Amino acid sequence: MNALRKSPLHDVIAKQQPEWGMVNDTPTALQFDQGDGQRSATLGIADLSCLWRHGLKGPRSVDWLETQGIAVPAVNCWAPLADGGLIARLGKTEFMLEDGLTGNTVRHIQNLLADRPDGVYPVLRQDAAFALTGTALQQLLRQTCSFNFITLDAATRPLVLTTMVGVPVTILPQATSDGMLYRLWCDGTYGEYLWRTLLDIAHELDGGAIGLNYLLLEGKSQ
Amino acid sequence: MRLTAIPGEWIDRSAEVEFQFEGNTYRGYRGDTISSALWCAEVRMLGRSFKYHRPRGILSLANHDINALMQSGQRLNVRADVEPLAAQQQLTSVNTFGGLQADSGRWLNHLAKFLPVGFYYKAFHTKALFPLWERLFRRLTGLGRLDFATPHLRTPKDYDFCDVLVIGAGATGLNAALAAADAGATVVIVDENARAGGSGAYQRGGKADSYTQINALLNSVVKHPRIRLLTSTVAAAYYADHWIPLVDEQKMTKMRANSVIVATGAFEQPAVFHNNDLPGVMLASAAQRLIYRYAVQPMRCAVVLAANADGYRAALDLAAQGVNVVALIDMRSDHQQAELATAVQACSINIFHAHCILEAEATVDGNGVAAAIICPFDADGNADVASTMRIPCDGIVMSVGWAPTANLLYQAGTRMRFADDVQQFVPEHLPEGVFACGRVNGVYDTVHKLMDGARVGRDAAAHVGYGSVSNAVTIAETESPSHAWPVVAHPKGKNFIDFDEDLQLKDFDNAVQEGFDNIELLKRYTTVGMGPSQGKHSNMNALRILARLTGKSPGQVGTTTARPFFHPVPLSHLAGRGFSPERLTPLHHQHAQLGAVFMPAGVWQRPEYYAQAGLTRTECIRGEVACVRNQVGIIDVGTLGKIEIYGPDAAEFLERVYISRYANLKVGMTRYAIMCDESGVIIDDGVVARLGEQHFYFTTTTSGAAPIYRELTRLNTLWQLDCGLVNLTGAMAAVNLAGPKAAEVLAPLTELDLSLAEFPYMGIREATVAGIPARLMRVGFVGELGYEIHVPAAYADALWQALWQGGQSQGMRAFGVEAQRLLRLEKGHIIIGQDTDGLTTPLQANLNWALKMDKAFFIGQRSLQIVALQALQQRLAGFVLDPGYNGTVPQECHLIIEQGEIAGRITSIAWSPSLQRHIGLAFVRPDLAVENGAIAIRLSDGSMVSAQIYPTPFYDPKNIRQQHPAQEHAA
Repeated sequence: MNALRKSPLHDVIAKQQPEWGMVNDTPTALQFDQGDGQRSATLGIADLSCLWRHGLKGPRSVDWLETQGIAVPAVNCWAPLADGGLIARLGKTEFMLEDGLTGNTVRHIQNLLADRPDGVYPVLRQDAAFALTGTALQQLLRQTCSFNFITLDAATRPLVLTTMVGVPVTILPQATSDGMLYRLWCDGTYGEYLWRTLLDIAHELDGGAIGLNYLLLEGKSQ
Repeated sequence: MRLTAIPGEWIDRSAEVEFQFEGNTYRGYRGDTISSALWCAEVRMLGRSFKYHRPRGILSLANHDINALMQSGQRLNVRADVEPLAAQQQLTSVNTFGGLQADSGRWLNHLAKFLPVGFYYKAFHTKALFPLWERLFRRLTGLGRLDFATPHLRTPKDYDFCDVLVIGAGATGLNAALAAADAGATVVIVDENARAGGSGAYQRGGKADSYTQINALLNSVVKHPRIRLLTSTVAAAYYADHWIPLVDEQKMTKMRANSVIVATGAFEQPAVFHNNDLPGVMLASAAQRLIYRYAVQPMRCAVVLAANADGYRAALDLAAQGVNVVALIDMRSDHQQAELATAVQACSINIFHAHCILEAEATVDGNGVAAAIICPFDADGNADVASTMRIPCDGIVMSVGWAPTANLLYQAGTRMRFADDVQQFVPEHLPEGVFACGRVNGVYDTVHKLMDGARVGRDAAAHVGYGSVSNAVTIAETESPSHAWPVVAHPKGKNFIDFDEDLQLKDFDNAVQEGFDNIELLKRYTTVGMGPSQGKHSNMNALRILARLTGKSPGQVGTTTARPFFHPVPLSHLAGRGFSPERLTPLHHQHAQLGAVFMPAGVWQRPEYYAQAGLTRTECIRGEVACVRNQVGIIDVGTLGKIEIYGPDAAEFLERVYISRYANLKVGMTRYAIMCDESGVIIDDGVVARLGEQHFYFTTTTSGAAPIYRELTRLNTLWQLDCGLVNLTGAMAAVNLAGPKAAEVLAPLTELDLSLAEFPYMGIREATVAGIPARLMRVGFVGELGYEIHVPAAYADALWQALWQGGQSQGMRAFGVEAQRLLRLEKGHIIIGQDTDGLTTPLQANLNWALKMDKAFFIGQRSLQIVALQALQQRLAGFVLDPGYNGTVPQECHLIIEQGEIAGRITSIAWSPSLQRHIGLAFVRPDLAVENGAIAIRLSDGSMVSAQIYPTPFYDPKNIRQQHPAQEHAA
C-alpha cells in the first residue's frame, strides 16, 4: 500500500512546524527545536501514533495468542514483544499489540487475523499515541487524571484504563534509564483535544512537545 | 500600637509594606493582614454592617470578620482579617454609600425599629409596591462593585492522594499526624492559616510553654518523611469516599484520602450584650492573634468577659503585653481553675464573679468603646440591671464559649449529639474512615488534646492498614469551655447575635412569636447563619436562644444542614481550567481549509456549511444542495457510530436489538435499522451491513455512538450470546460521495465493479479506493446515487484528497450538515431526535414497514404490541406550504392548530429547491394526516399559516435516482 498514513495529531503538530521524518509511512515529528532535550527532561510530550498497532478480542483470544508464541500478560498488565513493542491486556479477553520502531509482530498478527480464527475478533486500532517524559510528569498527571499513578509499581508492568481530562485513555508507566516514561493511548478523534490540553499544562510546567529523536524507544520503552 | 518583637510572630519587620485604605496611606509589615496593619495604625473602623451600616472593627480575626470585607481593584470582598498585606494595594470598604466615614447608609441604624426581622418578606406582600421594594433592596444589598472587565482566571485544578488527611494543624492535628505517620501511613496535614500551630501558638496564658510545645511538635512534623504539611489551604468540603477539595490561593486540589482526621478545632463565640459590635469589642482569640501573630496591641485598657479558662489566659496574655486589664468579668459564680484565677489576681486584675457585661458604652463618635457597663448575672441568665457599674476601657475582650468546627463532620454524615458537660455538639457516630479529635470532639485541655490526637492518629492509620487501633481512653473535661447562656437582654436592643445580618436578640423573639419556631424555619425567616460567615459565630447562640424560647434543650433544637462549601471559595477556583472534550474527525483540517463553518454535534465539531466569499449562509447551503442534486458532493460522515459484531450469534444479537430482520440479510447487502427501547420508543437508527455469515458492520447516529455501544455491550453481557462487539467509531473514517456523477468520480480510483448488477443499491463491498482498504456502501440518505466509503482513520486524509482531486472535473463540492438535512428532508428521511422525540414509536413515525412484529423477540416488542392495540394519537406526515407563499415561514416546533386545539407540531421545515416551495415534516393527528388535507400552523406571533399534507418522499418518490450508477446511464 502506497497511501500515506497520517497521525491523528498531524495537523495540530504541524502548526508547531517541527522537523518531519517518515516513520512507518507516517509523517512524524522528529524534533521541534533545540529545546527538545530540555523539555524531555522536564516534561516532554511526544506523538507515537506512527507505530503499528492492532487489537484483538474474543473468547479464544488468549489461547490463540499463546499459539502464536506470544506471552500473554495478566489482566491490566503489559509485556514486551520478542522483537520489540508490547502487548497490553485491556481486559480478560481483549488485547492491543504495538510494534516498536522495528519489529513486525503487529502486521504479522494482523494478517493472521484476516483469516478470522474462531472466537478471535480483530480490533482496528487507530489511536492517538503519546509518550510523556520528565520530572514534572506526575504534576501533569495530577492536573489531568484522578488516578493515583504513584501507587503503581512499574516493575509489575501495570496498565491503567481511566479517563484524562474527560477522555478515555489507556496508560502504562515504564521505568527507563532516564526515569519514568508514560505511554498513553486514546481514540484518535480525541487526540487533538488531548494534545492541546496536555500541552497547555505542560507549558505552564516548563515542558512541551518533543520529537521522536528524543525518545530512544528501543531503549526507553522496552 | 506595634509591640516589641515576640517569639513566633508572623511579621517580617525588615519588610515594610505601604498601602492605601479609603484614600489614606498606611504602612505595615510583610506578614501582616490588612486588618492587623490597620489596627496597628489605630484604625478602628474597618467596615460597616450589612443592614444598619453600623461601624465594625475586628471581631474574630479568623476569616469570619464579615464586616471587614474590602474591595481591592477588581477583587471583591477581600477578607481583610486574613488577607496578607500587599504593597501598593488600594482598598476600600464595601457596603458603603460615600465612603466608610461619611457613609450615608449609616442613617439606617436610626431606622432599625422600622426594619424588623422579616421586613423584606412582608414588604413584598403588596403587589403594587413590589417594583419599588425590589429596586430599593437591589440598591441597598450586594457587597462590592463588580467590574465586568475582570479577566477570566484559569486556575489549575489537581488531584492528590494520601493515606491519612489531617485537617487542622493545631496541637491535636499535629500529634494525630505524627501518630499516623509513625504507624507507617503517608499523611497530609492541611491548615487554613498561613502557619501551622493552631491556638497553642497564641493562647499562651502569658507564658511560653504552649508555644514551645507547639514548636517542638511542628519540628517533628516537618522532619517526618511521611508527612506533608500544607498551610494557607482550606479543606472546604467533604464528599463521599473521603474526597476533600483543598483550596489554596492558586488552585483547588481534589484530595482523595483513605481516611480523614478532623482536627478543625472550634470557632470562638461572641457574648450577646448591648453594643457588642462596637469596634474594640472582640473575641479573646482575636486579641491573642493580634498580639502573638502580628505583635499588635489590641487595646490599651481592657475589660475581659470570661466564662471559661481561656478567658483567664487571655487576660494574662493581655497583661503580659502591657495592656491595662482593669477587670475580668466572669459570668459564672465559680470554676475549677483556681491557679489561673490566682495568676490573674497577681496581675492586679479585679475579678467579678457572676457578673456580665450589660452593655458596651460607645465613644462620643460612636466608633469605639468608652466603657463596659457590668452588672450581676444569676445562674438562670438574668442580669440585675439595677446594680450596674461603669468600668472605663477602650476595649472589651470576650471569651465565653466555643462552637465546634464540625461542618466537615456533618457533611461526612456524622451523627452528632449535644454534650451538656462541654455545652457543644460532639460526634456520636462517625462514618467509616472519618475520625475527630480535639476541640471539635469536645476535648479542650492541652494534655487531653494531645492524647486525643495520638489516639485517632493511630486509629486512622490502622484503618488503612498500618499498625493497630489504639486502646480506648475516656477523656473528660473538668469544666465546660462554653457558657450555656452568654446572652444578656437589654431594653435598647442592639445586642447582636448575627453580625453578618445585624440580627438582634429581639428578632428571635419576634420570629418565634410569628411561628418560626423550628431551627430551619427560623434560619430562613431571620436569615441567621445565611450571611457570608455562614453562622460560624451566630448559629450556636441562635439555637441556644431558640431552645430557651421553645422550652427545649439545644440538642432537641438541633442544627441546620451543613452544605459544601463551608468556607467561601473563589469562583475561579471552582471553575478551574475548563476541560470540554471535543472530537474531531480525521478530515477536520480539510474542512477548515475549505472554509467550513463548524457546528457542535454532541462532542463533535462538524461542518455546518462551507463559506464562500460573497455568498450568504443560505446561498452557500443551497449551492451545496444543487451540487449534490446535479453533479456530485462529498460529506464527512465519520461521526456516525460504527460497530462490528462477530460470532455465530451475531445475527441473533441484531435480531434482538433492532426492530427489523437481519438473520435473512444476504452477505454483501445492507438494511436500514431502527432501535427502540423497552417502551417501544425509537432511540437510534443506522444501517446494518452483512460482511460474512458471522460478521456484520453497522452504523448508529452520531449522538448515539457511545451510549448505543455501551448499551449493546451490556446486553451482550446479559444475554451471553456467542458474539463480540468492536467499536470502530473513532477508528474508521467515512465519507459519503453522493450525486449523479458519484460513480464517475469513484470509478477511476477503484477496481470495484460499480455496475448495478455487481454493486446494487443497499449493497456493501470491500475493496480498495486509491489504494486504501475500504468498505463501500450504496446508500441513499440524500436521495442520489451515493457511496458511503469507510476507511481506517489514518488513511482518511489520503482518501479525501484522492476523491477531491478526481471530483474536480465533475464539479464536486463538499457539503455540510445543513445541506444534508435539506437533502434528506426532500427524501422524507427522518432524523432521530429531530423528527422523533422521547415518546415516538415506529408506528407514529410511519416506520411500520421496518417493524417485524412476527420476530421471536426484539427490544420494545412487547410495548409495541400493546401500543398497536390503541389508536394513534399522532403520526408523522409531510406537508407543504403554498408555492407562492412569501410570508413568515413557520419554524420547527410551531404548533398545528385545529379548531383551537393543539393538533400537532412541526419537526422539520425548509425551502426545497427541488420543489420550489417550503416542505416539512410534522406530527399531526391521524385524522388530519390525509393527503392534500389542510392544516393550520400557528406562528410565534399568533398568526396562522395554512399548509397541505403531502406524501413523502417529496423528491424522486420512486427512488430512481438512487438506483442507477451514472455509467449505466452513459452506456
